[in-house]
Amino acid sequence: MRPLLITALLTIGLMQPAPARTLEIEVYGMTCAFCVDSLQRTFNKNEEVEKVDVSLEQKKVRLETRGDLPSVETIRQMILDAGFTPIKITELPDSSD
Amino acid sequence: MGLRSLVALPVDKGGSVVRFTLESTDDANTDYLITNAAYGLSADQTLLFGLPYRIEPAGSDRTGDLSVLYRHIGWREDNWDGTNRLGLLIGALLPSQTESDSAAQAGLVYTHFKNRNEIDSDLVYRFGNDDRLDSARYDISWQYRLHPDKRPAWGLVPELNSVLELNGRWLEDEDVVHQVTVGLQWIHPRLVLEGGVVRDISNSSESRVLLSTRFHF
Repeated sequence: MRPLLITALLTIGLMQPAPARTLEIEVYGMTCAFCVDSLQRTFNKNEEVEKVDVSLEQKKVRLETRGDLPSVETIRQMILDAGFTPIKITELPDSSD
Repeated sequence: MGLRSLVALPVDKGGSVVRFTLESTDDANTDYLITNAAYGLSADQTLLFGLPYRIEPAGSDRTGDLSVLYRHIGWREDNWDGTNRLGLLIGALLPSQTESDSAAQAGLVYTHFKNRNEIDSDLVYRFGNDDRLDSARYDISWQYRLHPDKRPAWGLVPELNSVLELNGRWLEDEDVVHQVTVGLQWIHPRLVLEGGVVRDISNSSESRVLLSTRFHF
């Protein structure tokens, strides 16, 4: 009975979605409204990204993701493909804690 | 990006831009519709197309030569308050009329952006095939953000830029025609409305008006 219970608990634990993350990325090379639009279009194509905010003033992109994805490497590549230079990626503490 | 030239336009991978420009010359009573398109193959590689169509005067041969350019950004220096980019241009000018000759074209484009100022400059030389004469053009464009003074911390508001350009057009065996262009750009994240006045400052005092809109998607 006990192994069965442990297996059930583990299965339920694995089925839980990874917690949402908020990432802030410092991006160099953004100059105008089109840069903002490019980055928003790029990240909105990714199903794991729930929200994208871009600050031309602070040279930052803030992403809210559903879970562990996209990875840091994927995010870097997406920014490079949009034509900019990713500098630093910081995971912000969960404000709901 | 300047008013007279599209070659400095930043385009992301898989991104597209379409621009329609109406160019009207009062003295010669001619109107042209110039359609430009750009497609981003990668962050550093872009295809650029341009096709003029003469609206006035009517008649035959209204479609001009199709310009096809491949742009490769070979050097890029992004920093906190701007960017510097240098690109190579290579392509062809394809005649729409069978009796015309084509040309190969090559050039350079450089962009400097810092805070509220952007300077785009490009030089393109066209090597005419067969009976086609060589030609060249240069554009130096300075754009200054008039509004807003300070951008919002997050998100965007529409922006207004002033544009001042020095342009030059040259045809083999003739002198360079230098021009000055003054205009405004209203920039929304996916749409730009822009207009300006072009005035020849060397051979004649001919002037023309440009009105253009471009869409990013």
